[in-house]
Amino acid sequence: MISYLARRVAIVLVSLFGASVAVFAVLGILPGSPAQVMLGTQATPKAVRQLSAQLGTNKPLWVQYLHWAHGLLVARLGESYFQQPIGPQIARALTVTGPLILFALVVGALVALPLGLGGALHNGKAVGTLLGGLSQIGIAVPTFVGGILLIIVFAVALPVFPSSGFPGWSQPGQALRSLVLPAITLGLVEGAILSRYVRASVLDQLHSDYLRTARSKGLSRARALWRHGMRNAMVPLVTVLGLELAALIVGAIIVENVFSLPGVGQLLLNAVDNRDLLVVQDIVILVAAVVLVVNLLVDLSYRLLDPRVREEGQR
Amino acid sequence: MSSSLGKRGTGVVTGALAVAMVAMTAVTAPAAVASASTPSGGTLVVASSVFPPTLDPTANAAAAIDEVFEYNVYQNLVELSPKGQIVPVLATSYKVSPSGLQYTFSIRSGVHFSNGDLLTSADVVYSLKRAANPKNIYPYGVLLKGMSSVVASGGKVVVTLKQPNNQFLYELAAYSNGIVVDPTTVKTLATKPVGTGPYVFASEVTNYSVTLDRNPHYWGKAPGVSEVEFRYFSNPNSEIEALKTGQVQVIDNLSNPQDAKQFQGAGFKLITGPTNGKIQVTINNSAGPLAKAKVRQAIQYATDKQAILQVAGGGYGRVIASDDVPGDPWYMPNLNKSYAYNPAKAKKLLAEAGYPHGLSLTLTLPPYNYALTAGPLVQANLDAVGIKVKIKDIQWPLWLTQVFSKHDYQLTIVDHVEARDISEYGDCTYYWLYAGCKAVGAMLLKAQSAKSLAGEVSGYQAVVKRINKDAVNDWLYNPDQLTAAKSNVVGLPGSGLTESFDLSHVSIGGSLASSFVAQGYSP
Repeated sequence: MISYLARRVAIVLVSLFGASVAVFAVLGILPGSPAQVMLGTQATPKAVRQLSAQLGTNKPLWVQYLHWAHGLLVARLGESYFQQPIGPQIARALTVTGPLILFALVVGALVALPLGLGGALHNGKAVGTLLGGLSQIGIAVPTFVGGILLIIVFAVALPVFPSSGFPGWSQPGQALRSLVLPAITLGLVEGAILSRYVRASVLDQLHSDYLRTARSKGLSRARALWRHGMRNAMVPLVTVLGLELAALIVGAIIVENVFSLPGVGQLLLNAVDNRDLLVVQDIVILVAAVVLVVNLLVDLSYRLLDPRVREEGQR
Repeated sequence: MSSSLGKRGTGVVTGALAVAMVAMTAVTAPAAVASASTPSGGTLVVASSVFPPTLDPTANAAAAIDEVFEYNVYQNLVELSPKGQIVPVLATSYKVSPSGLQYTFSIRSGVHFSNGDLLTSADVVYSLKRAANPKNIYPYGVLLKGMSSVVASGGKVVVTLKQPNNQFLYELAAYSNGIVVDPTTVKTLATKPVGTGPYVFASEVTNYSVTLDRNPHYWGKAPGVSEVEFRYFSNPNSEIEALKTGQVQVIDNLSNPQDAKQFQGAGFKLITGPTNGKIQVTINNSAGPLAKAKVRQAIQYATDKQAILQVAGGGYGRVIASDDVPGDPWYMPNLNKSYAYNPAKAKKLLAEAGYPHGLSLTLTLPPYNYALTAGPLVQANLDAVGIKVKIKDIQWPLWLTQVFSKHDYQLTIVDHVEARDISEYGDCTYYWLYAGCKAVGAMLLKAQSAKSLAGEVSGYQAVVKRINKDAVNDWLYNPDQLTAAKSNVVGLPGSGLTESFDLSHVSIGGSLASSFVAQGYSP
């Protein structure tokens, strides 16, 4: 177990290193320099050169990379090109995006489980087809369209929830309320996608030999599924959930924009617009790290769900 | 337009204006408080679209910084009223020497920075020197490059110029190069702004809001609200919903002029007034067919500017045909009627220039609403006279690098927001690469150092006419600032002549003293 864990953590670290190099290389070829953006239409070539020297963006890429990587390793993110402290900025943005994603996951689960289970249990019947159709619609509607529709209905026509903004967690009630529409927007799509996997996975189990055996012992279909099938059905679901987390983070960027939420997505978008590359790099690395760690946890969870994997790991 | 500039030839006028202003501030100080508004209260929430990338206006040219901090938190020796007049602020008065080289400012006494430090003439000298020092990469600092010395003597500051510049006071008033900072705070301006203005910086939430509180130690009349919150919206629709549902009371400047009509009446008010903006098709004069004046003139005749103003500008603004807008003392409304829409004439000019069968051009568009709306209209207009236009959309940083710095473009559409930037036509490296730059440069120098107001105005008018004749660019229109607000918000600025959203005299309810109405604040 220990060696397995060590191996997996090593893989995560190597991947992170790869990601950091990739991010740096991609941003290196992004046209438009921070100095240029800061000086705007007041820029003279001389001033741009001078400011680039001040910011250090004229140094060779590998020097800039080492400087940045060192900052990451000692957990000192420092200041952005715009003299704003990066760490606190990201931390504050996370207090919006984190709850938003969790909230969206809950919404997603609330959508996916009934849709998927219902679809599987009623497979081949009218209800099943209807549920399948609903999930198709959920997948097909883009997040930004869904978000705007929700705003029109629940913020303008029936002013139940605020259309945009986020007052901060000092007012927890208001803060939660302003996350409701964004979370639904984000969660509906994820739920619809997940429901397809739930349905397929449950159908698989329903047709398996062991479940037929369980039923022949006299269990009802739902009970047999609950007692014996669910755990097996969960294995592929957990994998998908890990992957979908990355999709949720990307979706959050769009949703935060639609609802004017000051989260990580907005921070990232504005940083790209301003060519505040240090902030962009830090956020991308953070997201990469989160996705890698979640996938590690997913792999570890197989071992809890499926003893066969556990034994394989010990060989 | 009645913009009173500080000019050496008009020393009497400036002096008189200064005295009038001093008298006015004295009158409006404590006595007029009751008549002006209810200083007790409330929070004013202002919707805006671009979050300031940093809080330091001396380190970044972004207009979003000046919008919040100029005049509200930081103040200049002289400032611009919404009518475009020069108003003494941290200077109580100023004198221009007969040679036009020396400006003497009397520094207001008893002014404190929000950290408690007393404003001294040494602080003013420090601030101006800091702005002028090219090492500091101070946006707009280049406007002070004509300063040969700045010294403090007693309560006065004397600025000496290398050569007379009639625009000097204006440039000191309109931009962040003129703000006065506390020398002990310059290291932390990006996170803890400290100024002398009616508001003090309270807090910010990145990409969401900036909050200013009323400055309890303000030297002038306190504003009528105790707090101002600028709140940022990533899309224009949520901004409008926020105003309609009462989450905000003001939208600084509507992103889409098409949205303005709904705020006329019914509990709202729409405040419109000119900006310094010139929304123009910038033409790369340096190469190919566009190097020929006849081709550029053909483009002028081919574009239906009135229609573009209607669609892209919602009809708010005025058509222009040169770098000439109402905020300029040399504004010539009649000149802007030249190049009236005439596709037949455009075709004829193209044929004369050697392109009877038309030509192909690329139009590079930055990601702004006005450009994205006007772009296809210009494309259709030019297509009608035989110029095939390919549209290329690019991001703003790329625009700055590719178009602005490397001059790698043929046509682009952009709003030149800077005031009185006609001097760019005398700069041979400026991105439109105008062939007549040297001649115009000499004309500008003459106008700048003219000994009388009339001489100055006619000097600049000659430049305006010259670049109009050469059709350096295809100027489309001068857009209005469109401020939408709840009808009870009083004292908002009535124009967009500066980048500051000047809230010095704002209140919710109450009424505005007539002296401020005369300066162009909205009653």
